[in-house]
Amino acid sequence: MGLMITTRDAAGRRNKFTQILIYGAVICLLAVIPLISSSSYILHILILTLIYIIAAASMRFIITSGQIPLAHGAFMGLGAYVSGVLSKHFGISPWITLVIAALVAMGVGTFISFPFARLKAFYYSMISLFFGVGMLQTIESFGKLTGGITGITGIPTLFNTASKVPFYYFFLALMLISLLILYRLEVSRIGWNLKAIEQSYLVAGSVGISVVKYRVLAVAVGCFFAGLAGGMYATYNVTVSPVSFDMTATLWLIIYVTIGGMGNFAGPIIGTVVLFLLPKYYSGLKQYTPFISAVILFAVLYTFRDGLVSIPGLVASFYKKRKKGKRTN
Amino acid sequence: MIILEITGLTKNFGGITAVSNIDMKVNDGEVLGLIGPNGAGKTTFFNLITGVIRPTKGKVVYKGKDITSKKPHEIAELGIGRTFQLNPLFPNFTVLQNVLSSFQLRPRSSLLDIFFNTRAYRDNEAYILAQSLEILNLVGLYKVKDELAKNQPHGYQKMLGVARALAIKPELLLLDEPIAGMNPDEIDNTIEAIKRTSQLGVTIILVEHNMKILEICNRVIVINFGQKIVEGSPQEIKENPEVIKAYLGSGHDTKY
Repeated sequence: MGLMITTRDAAGRRNKFTQILIYGAVICLLAVIPLISSSSYILHILILTLIYIIAAASMRFIITSGQIPLAHGAFMGLGAYVSGVLSKHFGISPWITLVIAALVAMGVGTFISFPFARLKAFYYSMISLFFGVGMLQTIESFGKLTGGITGITGIPTLFNTASKVPFYYFFLALMLISLLILYRLEVSRIGWNLKAIEQSYLVAGSVGISVVKYRVLAVAVGCFFAGLAGGMYATYNVTVSPVSFDMTATLWLIIYVTIGGMGNFAGPIIGTVVLFLLPKYYSGLKQYTPFISAVILFAVLYTFRDGLVSIPGLVASFYKKRKKGKRTN
Repeated sequence: MIILEITGLTKNFGGITAVSNIDMKVNDGEVLGLIGPNGAGKTTFFNLITGVIRPTKGKVVYKGKDITSKKPHEIAELGIGRTFQLNPLFPNFTVLQNVLSSFQLRPRSSLLDIFFNTRAYRDNEAYILAQSLEILNLVGLYKVKDELAKNQPHGYQKMLGVARALAIKPELLLLDEPIAGMNPDEIDNTIEAIKRTSQLGVTIILVEHNMKILEICNRVIVINFGQKIVEGSPQEIKENPEVIKAYLGSGHDTKY
Protein backbone atom coordinates (compact mmCIF):
# COMPACT_ATOMS: atom_id res chain seq x y z
CA MET A 1 0.00 0.00 0.00
CA GLY A 2 0.95 3.59 -0.35
CA LEU A 3 4.64 3.49 -1.03
CA MET A 4 4.28 0.20 -2.80
CA ILE A 5 1.42 1.59 -4.88
CA THR A 6 -0.30 -1.70 -5.43
CA THR A 7 -2.07 -1.81 -8.74
CA ARG A 8 -5.73 -2.40 -8.17
CA ASP A 9 -6.46 -3.47 -11.75
CA ALA A 10 -7.06 -6.98 -13.00
CA ALA A 11 -3.45 -7.60 -14.02
CA GLY A 12 -2.25 -6.72 -10.54
CA ARG A 13 -4.79 -9.02 -8.95
CA ARG A 14 -3.84 -11.87 -11.29
CA ASN A 15 -0.19 -11.32 -10.42
CA LYS A 16 -0.97 -11.49 -6.75
CA PHE A 17 -2.99 -14.65 -7.29
CA THR A 18 -0.12 -16.43 -9.08
CA GLN A 19 2.24 -15.27 -6.33
CA ILE A 20 0.05 -16.77 -3.63
CA LEU A 21 -0.24 -19.95 -5.70
CA ILE A 22 3.55 -20.26 -6.01
CA TYR A 23 4.16 -19.62 -2.31
CA GLY A 24 1.43 -22.11 -1.41
CA ALA A 25 2.99 -24.74 -3.64
CA VAL A 26 6.46 -24.23 -2.14
CA ILE A 27 5.10 -24.45 1.41
CA CYS A 28 3.14 -27.63 0.58
CA LEU A 29 6.26 -29.14 -0.96
CA LEU A 30 8.27 -28.34 2.14
CA ALA A 31 5.53 -29.78 4.32
CA VAL A 32 5.45 -33.17 2.58
CA ILE A 33 9.22 -33.72 2.44
CA PRO A 34 9.34 -35.74 5.71
CA LEU A 35 6.57 -37.99 4.36
CA ILE A 36 8.50 -38.74 1.16
CA SER A 37 11.99 -39.13 2.48
CA SER A 38 12.79 -41.02 5.64
CA SER A 39 16.48 -40.19 5.51
CA SER A 40 17.36 -38.38 8.71
CA TYR A 41 20.46 -36.95 7.04
CA ILE A 42 18.39 -34.99 4.54
CA LEU A 43 16.13 -33.77 7.32
CA HIS A 44 19.17 -32.70 9.33
CA ILE A 45 20.46 -30.60 6.43
CA LEU A 46 17.02 -29.10 5.85
CA ILE A 47 16.62 -28.19 9.52
CA LEU A 48 19.98 -26.40 9.50
CA THR A 49 18.96 -24.63 6.29
CA LEU A 50 15.78 -23.40 7.95
CA ILE A 51 17.79 -22.02 10.90
CA TYR A 52 20.32 -20.27 8.69
CA ILE A 53 17.62 -18.80 6.44
CA ILE A 54 16.28 -16.95 9.49
CA ALA A 55 19.79 -15.72 10.33
CA ALA A 56 20.57 -14.61 6.76
CA ALA A 57 17.21 -12.90 6.21
CA SER A 58 17.53 -11.01 9.49
CA MET A 59 21.06 -9.96 8.55
CA ARG A 60 19.79 -8.57 5.27
CA PHE A 61 17.12 -6.62 7.16
CA ILE A 62 19.89 -4.74 9.00
CA ILE A 63 21.78 -4.26 5.72
CA THR A 64 18.78 -2.47 4.15
CA SER A 65 19.34 0.34 6.66
CA GLY A 66 22.91 0.75 5.34
CA GLN A 67 24.58 -0.81 8.36
CA ILE A 68 26.67 -3.92 7.74
CA PRO A 69 26.39 -6.14 10.82
CA LEU A 70 29.71 -7.92 11.31
CA ALA A 71 28.59 -9.60 14.53
CA HIS A 72 25.58 -11.49 13.26
CA GLY A 73 27.19 -14.89 13.75
CA ALA A 74 28.19 -13.84 17.26
CA PHE A 75 24.61 -12.80 18.04
CA MET A 76 23.48 -16.23 16.91
CA GLY A 77 26.08 -17.59 19.31
CA LEU A 78 24.78 -15.39 22.11
CA GLY A 79 21.29 -16.77 21.52
CA ALA A 80 22.58 -20.33 21.44
CA TYR A 81 24.56 -19.93 24.66
CA VAL A 82 21.77 -18.13 26.51
CA SER A 83 19.36 -20.86 25.53
CA GLY A 84 21.83 -23.64 26.29
CA VAL A 85 23.05 -22.35 29.66
CA LEU A 86 19.58 -21.46 30.94
CA SER A 87 18.03 -24.78 30.02
CA LYS A 88 20.94 -26.93 31.14
CA HIS A 89 22.17 -25.24 34.33
CA PHE A 90 19.01 -23.48 35.48
CA GLY A 91 16.47 -26.07 34.42
CA ILE A 92 14.29 -23.69 32.45
CA SER A 93 12.18 -25.30 29.75
CA PRO A 94 13.79 -24.98 26.29
CA TRP A 95 10.50 -23.59 24.97
CA ILE A 96 10.96 -20.57 27.21
CA THR A 97 14.72 -20.24 26.74
CA LEU A 98 14.14 -19.99 22.99
CA VAL A 99 12.22 -16.76 23.57
CA ILE A 100 14.69 -15.50 26.19
CA ALA A 101 17.58 -16.13 23.77
CA ALA A 102 15.93 -13.94 21.13
CA LEU A 103 15.13 -11.19 23.64
CA VAL A 104 18.64 -11.14 25.13
CA ALA A 105 20.21 -10.90 21.67
CA MET A 106 17.82 -8.07 20.86
CA GLY A 107 18.70 -6.25 24.07
CA VAL A 108 22.45 -6.54 23.59
CA GLY A 109 22.13 -5.56 19.92
CA THR A 110 20.16 -2.45 20.84
CA PHE A 111 22.69 -1.60 23.52
CA ILE A 112 25.66 -1.60 21.15
CA SER A 113 23.87 0.06 18.23
CA PHE A 114 22.45 2.98 20.18
CA PRO A 115 25.63 5.04 20.76
CA PHE A 116 26.66 4.73 17.11
CA ALA A 117 23.30 5.24 15.43
CA ARG A 118 23.91 8.99 15.08
CA LEU A 119 27.16 8.52 13.18
CA LYS A 120 27.84 7.29 9.66
CA ALA A 121 26.73 3.68 9.21
CA PHE A 122 30.37 2.64 8.80
CA TYR A 123 30.98 3.04 12.53
CA TYR A 124 28.32 0.49 13.35
CA SER A 125 30.12 -2.04 11.15
CA MET A 126 33.37 -1.35 12.99
CA ILE A 127 31.91 -1.62 16.48
CA SER A 128 29.93 -4.72 15.63
CA LEU A 129 33.09 -6.38 14.35
CA PHE A 130 34.96 -5.72 17.60
CA PHE A 131 31.96 -6.46 19.77
CA GLY A 132 31.25 -9.73 18.02
CA VAL A 133 34.78 -11.01 18.57
CA GLY A 134 34.82 -9.73 22.15
CA MET A 135 31.45 -11.23 23.01
CA LEU A 136 32.53 -14.71 21.96
CA GLN A 137 35.77 -14.42 23.97
CA THR A 138 33.75 -13.37 27.01
CA ILE A 139 31.40 -16.31 26.64
CA GLU A 140 34.38 -18.64 26.36
CA SER A 141 36.01 -17.22 29.47
CA PHE A 142 33.04 -18.16 31.69
CA GLY A 143 34.31 -21.72 31.59
CA LYS A 144 32.18 -23.13 34.40
CA LEU A 145 28.90 -22.21 32.77
CA THR A 146 29.78 -22.32 29.10
CA GLY A 147 32.41 -25.03 29.01
CA GLY A 148 35.08 -22.74 27.54
CA ILE A 149 36.53 -23.72 24.20
CA THR A 150 34.82 -27.11 24.14
CA GLY A 151 31.36 -25.65 24.66
CA ILE A 152 28.24 -27.06 26.27
CA THR A 153 26.94 -30.56 25.68
CA GLY A 154 23.74 -32.25 26.74
CA ILE A 155 21.39 -29.31 26.30
CA PRO A 156 17.74 -30.34 26.86
CA THR A 157 15.82 -30.58 23.60
CA LEU A 158 12.35 -29.45 22.65
CA PHE A 159 11.04 -32.88 21.68
CA ASN A 160 12.09 -36.02 23.52
CA THR A 161 12.15 -38.29 20.49
CA ALA A 162 14.93 -39.58 18.30
CA SER A 163 12.97 -38.51 15.25
CA LYS A 164 13.81 -35.22 13.58
CA VAL A 165 10.35 -34.78 12.07
CA PRO A 166 8.80 -32.67 14.90
CA PHE A 167 11.83 -30.39 14.81
CA TYR A 168 11.42 -30.01 11.10
CA TYR A 169 7.77 -28.97 11.32
CA PHE A 170 8.27 -26.68 14.28
CA PHE A 171 11.26 -24.91 12.72
CA LEU A 172 9.50 -24.66 9.37
CA ALA A 173 6.66 -22.86 11.11
CA LEU A 174 9.08 -20.59 12.98
CA MET A 175 10.90 -19.76 9.74
CA LEU A 176 7.67 -18.92 7.92
CA ILE A 177 6.52 -16.67 10.76
CA SER A 178 9.91 -14.95 10.93
CA LEU A 179 10.00 -14.37 7.18
CA LEU A 180 6.43 -13.09 7.26
CA ILE A 181 7.33 -10.54 9.96
CA LEU A 182 10.50 -9.43 8.17
CA TYR A 183 8.65 -9.16 4.86
CA ARG A 184 5.84 -7.15 6.39
CA LEU A 185 8.40 -4.78 7.94
CA GLU A 186 10.26 -4.42 4.66
CA VAL A 187 7.33 -3.56 2.38
CA SER A 188 5.74 -1.18 4.88
CA ARG A 189 6.72 2.41 5.53
CA ILE A 190 9.25 1.14 8.10
CA GLY A 191 11.25 -0.63 5.41
CA TRP A 192 11.07 2.37 3.11
CA ASN A 193 12.34 4.64 5.86
CA LEU A 194 15.29 2.30 6.39
CA LYS A 195 16.08 2.42 2.67
CA ALA A 196 15.78 6.20 2.75
CA ILE A 197 18.26 6.40 5.63
CA GLU A 198 20.61 4.10 3.74
CA GLN A 199 20.63 6.50 0.77
CA SER A 200 21.09 9.72 2.73
CA TYR A 201 20.69 10.07 6.46
CA LEU A 202 20.90 13.88 6.20
CA VAL A 203 17.96 14.10 3.81
CA ALA A 204 16.07 11.50 5.86
CA GLY A 205 16.51 13.59 9.00
CA SER A 206 15.36 16.73 7.21
CA VAL A 207 11.96 15.24 6.41
CA GLY A 208 11.39 14.04 9.94
CA ILE A 209 12.65 10.45 9.94
CA SER A 210 14.33 9.79 13.27
CA VAL A 211 17.58 8.29 12.05
CA VAL A 212 18.57 6.96 15.47
CA LYS A 213 15.19 5.34 16.13
CA TYR A 214 15.05 3.53 12.81
CA ARG A 215 18.67 2.38 12.83
CA VAL A 216 18.28 0.98 16.34
CA LEU A 217 14.99 -0.62 15.32
CA ALA A 218 16.67 -2.34 12.37
CA VAL A 219 19.44 -3.73 14.55
CA ALA A 220 17.02 -4.76 17.31
CA VAL A 221 14.79 -6.70 14.90
CA GLY A 222 17.79 -8.25 13.13
CA CYS A 223 19.41 -9.34 16.39
CA PHE A 224 16.12 -10.71 17.73
CA PHE A 225 15.93 -13.16 14.84
CA ALA A 226 19.65 -13.92 15.04
CA GLY A 227 19.15 -14.83 18.70
CA LEU A 228 16.11 -16.91 17.82
CA ALA A 229 18.10 -18.79 15.18
CA GLY A 230 20.87 -19.37 17.74
CA GLY A 231 18.40 -20.66 20.30
CA MET A 232 16.90 -23.01 17.73
CA TYR A 233 20.37 -24.27 16.88
CA ALA A 234 21.15 -24.99 20.54
CA THR A 235 17.98 -26.92 21.33
CA TYR A 236 18.23 -28.88 18.10
CA ASN A 237 21.94 -29.62 18.04
CA VAL A 238 22.19 -30.35 21.81
CA THR A 239 25.82 -29.18 21.78
CA VAL A 240 27.08 -25.64 21.31
CA SER A 241 30.70 -24.63 20.86
CA PRO A 242 32.32 -21.25 20.16
CA VAL A 243 33.78 -22.31 16.80
CA SER A 244 30.29 -22.49 15.28
CA PHE A 245 29.78 -18.77 15.84
CA ASP A 246 33.12 -17.09 15.25
CA MET A 247 33.94 -14.56 12.55
CA THR A 248 33.73 -17.30 9.91
CA ALA A 249 30.05 -17.81 10.74
CA THR A 250 29.37 -14.13 10.13
CA LEU A 251 31.30 -14.28 6.85
CA TRP A 252 29.27 -17.29 5.74
CA LEU A 253 26.08 -15.34 6.41
CA ILE A 254 27.40 -12.42 4.37
CA ILE A 255 28.21 -14.83 1.54
CA TYR A 256 24.69 -16.33 1.65
CA VAL A 257 23.20 -12.85 1.43
CA THR A 258 25.55 -11.68 -1.33
CA ILE A 259 25.17 -14.73 -3.55
CA GLY A 260 21.41 -14.64 -3.27
CA GLY A 261 21.23 -10.89 -3.78
CA MET A 262 21.13 -8.10 -1.23
CA GLY A 263 18.59 -6.01 -3.10
CA ASN A 264 15.78 -8.53 -2.86
CA PHE A 265 13.91 -10.14 0.01
CA ALA A 266 14.30 -13.58 -1.57
CA GLY A 267 18.08 -13.11 -1.90
CA PRO A 268 19.27 -14.50 1.42
CA ILE A 269 16.77 -17.36 1.22
CA ILE A 270 17.99 -18.48 -2.19
CA GLY A 271 21.63 -17.91 -1.26
CA THR A 272 21.33 -20.02 1.88
CA VAL A 273 19.49 -22.84 0.13
CA VAL A 274 21.98 -23.00 -2.73
CA LEU A 275 25.09 -22.90 -0.58
CA PHE A 276 23.65 -25.30 2.01
CA LEU A 277 22.32 -27.93 -0.33
CA LEU A 278 25.01 -27.95 -3.02
CA PRO A 279 27.85 -29.23 -0.77
CA LYS A 280 25.71 -32.19 0.27
CA TYR A 281 25.84 -33.49 -3.30
CA TYR A 282 29.59 -33.47 -3.44
CA SER A 283 29.99 -34.72 0.11
CA GLY A 284 33.13 -36.59 -0.92
CA LEU A 285 34.80 -33.22 -1.35
CA LYS A 286 33.74 -31.88 2.02
CA GLN A 287 37.11 -30.34 2.83
CA TYR A 288 36.88 -28.25 -0.32
CA THR A 289 33.54 -26.64 0.63
CA PRO A 290 35.02 -23.18 1.34
CA PHE A 291 36.93 -23.30 -1.93
CA ILE A 292 33.93 -24.32 -4.00
CA SER A 293 31.77 -21.71 -2.27
CA ALA A 294 34.36 -19.05 -3.06
CA VAL A 295 34.32 -20.05 -6.72
CA ILE A 296 30.52 -19.81 -6.74
CA LEU A 297 30.72 -16.42 -5.05
CA PHE A 298 33.17 -15.09 -7.63
CA ALA A 299 31.22 -16.54 -10.53
CA VAL A 300 27.94 -15.06 -9.30
CA LEU A 301 29.35 -11.64 -8.50
CA TYR A 302 31.18 -11.51 -11.82
CA THR A 303 28.15 -12.40 -13.92
CA PHE A 304 25.16 -11.20 -11.85
CA ARG A 305 26.18 -8.39 -9.58
CA ASP A 306 22.77 -8.34 -7.92
CA GLY A 307 22.90 -11.99 -6.98
CA LEU A 308 21.05 -15.09 -8.11
CA VAL A 309 17.62 -13.47 -7.64
CA SER A 310 18.34 -11.06 -10.49
CA ILE A 311 18.52 -13.88 -13.08
CA PRO A 312 14.76 -14.06 -13.92
CA GLY A 313 14.63 -10.31 -14.41
CA LEU A 314 17.70 -10.33 -16.63
CA VAL A 315 16.32 -13.17 -18.75
CA ALA A 316 12.98 -11.38 -19.10
CA SER A 317 14.59 -8.10 -20.16
CA PHE A 318 16.84 -9.98 -22.61
CA TYR A 319 13.82 -11.53 -24.35
CA LYS A 320 11.97 -8.23 -24.33
CA LYS A 321 14.90 -6.52 -25.97
CA ARG A 322 15.17 -9.25 -28.62
CA LYS A 323 11.47 -9.01 -29.35
CA LYS A 324 11.73 -5.26 -29.70
CA GLY A 325 14.77 -5.63 -31.99
CA LYS A 326 12.85 -8.02 -34.26
CA ARG A 327 9.91 -5.66 -34.50
CA THR A 328 12.02 -2.73 -35.61
CA ASN A 329 13.90 -4.78 -38.22
CA MET B 1 4.75 38.57 13.70
CA ILE B 2 8.24 37.16 14.12
CA ILE B 3 8.49 33.48 13.24
CA LEU B 4 12.24 32.94 13.75
CA GLU B 5 14.59 34.88 15.96
CA ILE B 6 18.32 34.28 16.02
CA THR B 7 20.61 35.92 18.57
CA GLY B 8 24.41 35.81 18.63
CA LEU B 9 24.69 32.62 16.59
CA THR B 10 28.34 31.51 16.39
CA LYS B 11 30.05 28.38 15.11
CA ASN B 12 33.76 27.66 15.38
CA PHE B 13 35.39 24.79 13.53
CA GLY B 14 38.66 24.52 15.43
CA GLY B 15 40.26 27.93 14.97
CA ILE B 16 38.04 28.98 12.09
CA THR B 17 34.90 30.95 12.78
CA ALA B 18 32.41 29.91 10.09
CA VAL B 19 29.49 31.87 11.49
CA SER B 20 30.15 34.77 13.81
CA ASN B 21 27.65 36.41 16.11
CA ILE B 22 24.72 36.67 13.71
CA ASP B 23 21.47 38.30 14.85
CA MET B 24 18.39 38.17 12.69
CA LYS B 25 14.63 38.26 12.81
CA VAL B 26 12.38 36.64 10.23
CA ASN B 27 8.82 37.89 9.80
CA ASP B 28 5.92 35.55 9.16
CA GLY B 29 5.19 35.17 5.45
CA GLU B 30 8.19 36.98 4.01
CA VAL B 31 10.82 35.82 1.53
CA LEU B 32 14.20 36.55 3.05
CA GLY B 33 17.33 36.36 0.93
CA LEU B 34 20.65 35.42 2.44
CA ILE B 35 23.44 36.18 0.03
CA GLY B 36 27.18 36.25 0.13
CA PRO B 37 30.23 35.01 -1.77
CA ASN B 38 31.41 31.38 -1.66
CA GLY B 39 32.56 30.33 1.77
CA ALA B 40 30.68 33.11 3.51
CA GLY B 41 29.07 30.65 5.92
CA LYS B 42 25.57 30.45 4.47
CA THR B 43 25.22 26.68 4.39
CA THR B 44 26.73 26.37 7.87
CA PHE B 45 24.10 28.86 9.01
CA PHE B 46 21.34 26.59 7.65
CA ASN B 47 22.88 23.53 9.24
CA LEU B 48 22.90 25.35 12.56
CA ILE B 49 19.21 26.24 12.33
CA THR B 50 18.14 22.73 11.29
CA GLY B 51 20.16 20.93 13.95
CA VAL B 52 22.60 19.13 11.65
CA ILE B 53 25.46 20.76 13.57
CA ARG B 54 25.35 22.40 16.99
CA PRO B 55 26.26 26.06 17.47
CA THR B 56 29.19 27.06 19.66
CA LYS B 57 27.19 29.97 21.01
CA GLY B 58 23.87 31.67 20.45
CA LYS B 59 20.20 30.90 20.39
CA VAL B 60 17.58 30.01 17.77
CA VAL B 61 13.98 30.66 18.76
CA TYR B 62 11.18 29.41 16.49
CA LYS B 63 7.66 30.66 17.29
CA GLY B 64 8.67 31.47 20.85
CA LYS B 65 10.29 28.05 21.37
CA ASP B 66 14.02 27.51 21.85
CA ILE B 67 15.15 24.98 19.22
CA THR B 68 18.91 25.52 19.54
CA SER B 69 20.10 21.97 20.16
CA LYS B 70 17.22 19.90 18.86
CA LYS B 71 17.78 16.98 16.47
CA PRO B 72 17.05 17.38 12.73
CA HIS B 73 13.89 15.23 12.78
CA GLU B 74 12.51 17.14 15.78
CA ILE B 75 13.02 20.42 13.94
CA ALA B 76 11.27 19.00 10.89
CA GLU B 77 8.42 18.01 13.19
CA LEU B 78 8.02 21.64 14.26
CA GLY B 79 7.46 22.66 10.64
CA ILE B 80 10.86 23.77 9.38
CA GLY B 81 11.61 22.23 6.00
CA ARG B 82 14.88 22.51 4.14
CA THR B 83 16.58 21.57 0.90
CA PHE B 84 20.19 20.66 0.36
CA GLN B 85 22.68 22.19 -1.99
CA LEU B 86 24.13 18.85 -3.10
CA ASN B 87 22.45 15.45 -3.44
CA PRO B 88 19.07 16.72 -2.31
CA LEU B 89 17.21 13.41 -2.74
CA PHE B 90 17.05 9.64 -2.37
CA PRO B 91 18.76 8.62 -5.64
CA ASN B 92 17.43 5.05 -5.88
CA PHE B 93 13.78 5.93 -5.32
CA THR B 94 11.53 7.15 -8.10
CA VAL B 95 10.51 10.79 -8.12
CA LEU B 96 7.14 9.89 -6.64
CA GLN B 97 8.67 7.62 -4.00
CA ASN B 98 10.93 10.48 -2.97
CA VAL B 99 7.91 12.62 -2.16
CA LEU B 100 5.93 9.74 -0.63
CA SER B 101 8.73 8.84 1.74
CA SER B 102 9.06 12.48 2.75
CA PHE B 103 5.56 12.41 4.25
CA GLN B 104 6.52 11.35 7.75
CA LEU B 105 4.76 13.78 10.01
CA ARG B 106 1.44 15.03 8.71
CA PRO B 107 -0.20 12.51 8.74
CA ARG B 108 1.86 10.20 10.89
CA SER B 109 1.23 6.50 11.49
CA SER B 110 2.44 4.69 14.58
CA LEU B 111 4.83 1.75 14.20
CA LEU B 112 2.13 -0.70 15.28
CA ASP B 113 -0.36 0.71 12.79
CA ILE B 114 2.25 0.35 10.05
CA PHE B 115 3.18 -3.18 11.03
CA PHE B 116 -0.37 -4.48 11.26
CA ASN B 117 -1.45 -2.59 8.12
CA THR B 118 -4.48 -1.18 9.90
CA ARG B 119 -7.23 0.84 8.28
CA ALA B 120 -5.81 4.06 9.77
CA TYR B 121 -2.43 3.39 8.14
CA ARG B 122 -3.95 2.55 4.78
CA ASP B 123 -6.11 5.69 4.88
CA ASN B 124 -3.03 7.75 5.69
CA GLU B 125 -1.12 6.22 2.78
CA ALA B 126 -3.96 6.89 0.37
CA TYR B 127 -4.12 10.51 1.53
CA ILE B 128 -0.33 10.81 1.19
CA LEU B 129 -0.44 9.49 -2.38
CA ALA B 130 -3.01 12.11 -3.38
CA GLN B 131 -1.05 14.89 -1.66
CA SER B 132 2.24 13.81 -3.27
CA LEU B 133 0.74 13.93 -6.75
CA GLU B 134 -0.55 17.42 -5.99
CA ILE B 135 2.89 18.60 -4.87
CA LEU B 136 4.50 17.10 -7.99
CA ASN B 137 1.99 19.06 -10.05
CA LEU B 138 2.87 22.24 -8.18
CA VAL B 139 6.60 21.95 -8.92
CA GLY B 140 6.06 20.58 -12.43
CA LEU B 141 7.51 17.09 -12.01
CA TYR B 142 4.31 15.08 -12.52
CA LYS B 143 5.41 13.86 -15.95
CA VAL B 144 8.54 12.12 -14.61
CA LYS B 145 7.00 10.75 -11.42
CA ASP B 146 7.80 7.10 -12.15
CA GLU B 147 11.42 7.60 -13.18
CA LEU B 148 14.39 7.12 -10.91
CA ALA B 149 15.42 10.31 -9.15
CA LYS B 150 19.11 9.85 -9.95
CA ASN B 151 18.40 9.81 -13.70
CA GLN B 152 16.82 13.26 -13.64
CA PRO B 153 18.61 16.40 -14.88
CA HIS B 154 20.10 18.70 -12.28
CA GLY B 155 17.26 21.21 -12.42
CA TYR B 156 14.63 18.52 -11.80
CA GLN B 157 16.62 17.12 -8.89
CA LYS B 158 16.71 20.54 -7.26
CA MET B 159 12.96 20.97 -7.76
CA LEU B 160 12.42 17.52 -6.31
CA GLY B 161 14.34 18.73 -3.26
CA VAL B 162 11.79 21.54 -2.90
CA ALA B 163 8.93 19.06 -3.39
CA ARG B 164 10.31 16.85 -0.62
CA ALA B 165 10.62 19.81 1.72
CA LEU B 166 7.01 20.78 0.97
CA ALA B 167 5.89 17.28 1.94
CA ILE B 168 6.50 17.98 5.61
CA LYS B 169 4.00 20.87 5.28
CA PRO B 170 6.46 23.48 6.49
CA GLU B 171 5.65 26.90 7.84
CA LEU B 172 9.27 27.92 7.37
CA LEU B 173 11.20 26.69 4.36
CA LEU B 174 14.98 26.98 4.06
CA LEU B 175 16.24 26.72 0.49
CA ASP B 176 19.96 26.14 0.08
CA GLU B 177 21.04 27.54 -3.31
CA PRO B 178 17.85 26.57 -5.17
CA ILE B 179 19.06 27.89 -8.54
CA ALA B 180 22.77 27.07 -8.42
CA GLY B 181 23.99 25.40 -11.60
CA MET B 182 20.71 25.84 -13.48
CA ASN B 183 20.23 27.15 -16.99
CA PRO B 184 18.17 30.36 -17.51
CA ASP B 185 14.95 28.45 -18.32
CA GLU B 186 15.21 26.33 -15.21
CA ILE B 187 15.96 29.41 -13.14
CA ASP B 188 12.75 31.07 -14.35
CA ASN B 189 10.71 27.94 -13.57
CA THR B 190 12.22 27.60 -10.12
CA ILE B 191 11.63 31.24 -9.26
CA GLU B 192 8.02 30.81 -10.39
CA ALA B 193 7.63 27.74 -8.15
CA ILE B 194 9.15 29.57 -5.18
CA LYS B 195 6.73 32.45 -5.72
CA ARG B 196 3.78 30.04 -5.78
CA THR B 197 5.01 28.38 -2.59
CA SER B 198 5.31 31.75 -0.91
CA GLN B 199 1.74 32.57 -1.89
CA LEU B 200 0.62 29.46 0.02
CA GLY B 201 1.69 31.29 3.18
CA VAL B 202 5.06 29.62 3.68
CA THR B 203 7.85 31.78 5.07
CA ILE B 204 10.99 31.28 2.99
CA ILE B 205 14.67 31.87 3.67
CA LEU B 206 16.84 31.53 0.59
CA VAL B 207 20.58 31.10 0.49
CA GLU B 208 22.16 32.11 -2.79
CA HIS B 209 25.15 33.82 -4.19
CA ASN B 210 23.46 34.38 -7.49
CA MET B 211 22.12 37.95 -7.45
CA LYS B 212 19.24 37.05 -9.74
CA ILE B 213 17.26 35.60 -6.86
CA LEU B 214 16.96 39.07 -5.34
CA GLU B 215 13.91 39.91 -7.43
CA ILE B 216 11.61 37.71 -5.34
CA CYS B 217 12.92 38.66 -1.91
CA ASN B 218 11.20 41.12 0.43
CA ARG B 219 14.39 41.65 2.35
CA VAL B 220 18.01 40.67 1.88
CA ILE B 221 20.82 40.03 4.35
CA VAL B 222 24.39 39.91 3.11
CA ILE B 223 26.91 37.69 4.87
CA ASN B 224 30.66 37.67 4.34
CA PHE B 225 33.27 35.78 6.34
CA GLY B 226 30.55 34.57 8.69
CA GLN B 227 29.39 38.07 9.59
CA LYS B 228 26.31 40.01 8.69
CA ILE B 229 27.48 43.05 6.76
CA VAL B 230 24.29 44.67 5.44
CA GLU B 231 20.54 44.22 5.66
CA GLY B 232 17.92 45.96 3.52
CA SER B 233 15.60 45.86 0.56
CA PRO B 234 16.89 44.28 -2.68
CA GLN B 235 17.30 47.72 -4.28
CA GLU B 236 19.37 49.06 -1.38
CA ILE B 237 21.56 45.97 -1.42
CA LYS B 238 22.33 46.25 -5.13
CA GLU B 239 23.65 49.77 -4.65
CA ASN B 240 25.44 49.26 -1.35
CA PRO B 241 29.20 49.86 -1.70
CA GLU B 242 30.02 47.23 0.97
CA VAL B 243 28.20 44.54 -1.00
CA ILE B 244 29.89 45.50 -4.23
CA LYS B 245 33.19 45.35 -2.40
CA ALA B 246 32.43 41.86 -1.05
CA TYR B 247 31.55 40.53 -4.48
CA LEU B 248 33.93 42.41 -6.75
CA GLY B 249 36.80 43.40 -4.49
CA SER B 250 37.75 46.93 -3.45
CA GLY B 251 38.52 49.83 -5.78
CA HIS B 252 42.27 49.70 -6.16
CA ASP B 253 42.10 46.17 -7.62
CA THR B 254 40.45 47.61 -10.70
CA LYS B 255 43.02 50.35 -11.37
CA TYR B 256 44.88 48.41 -14.05
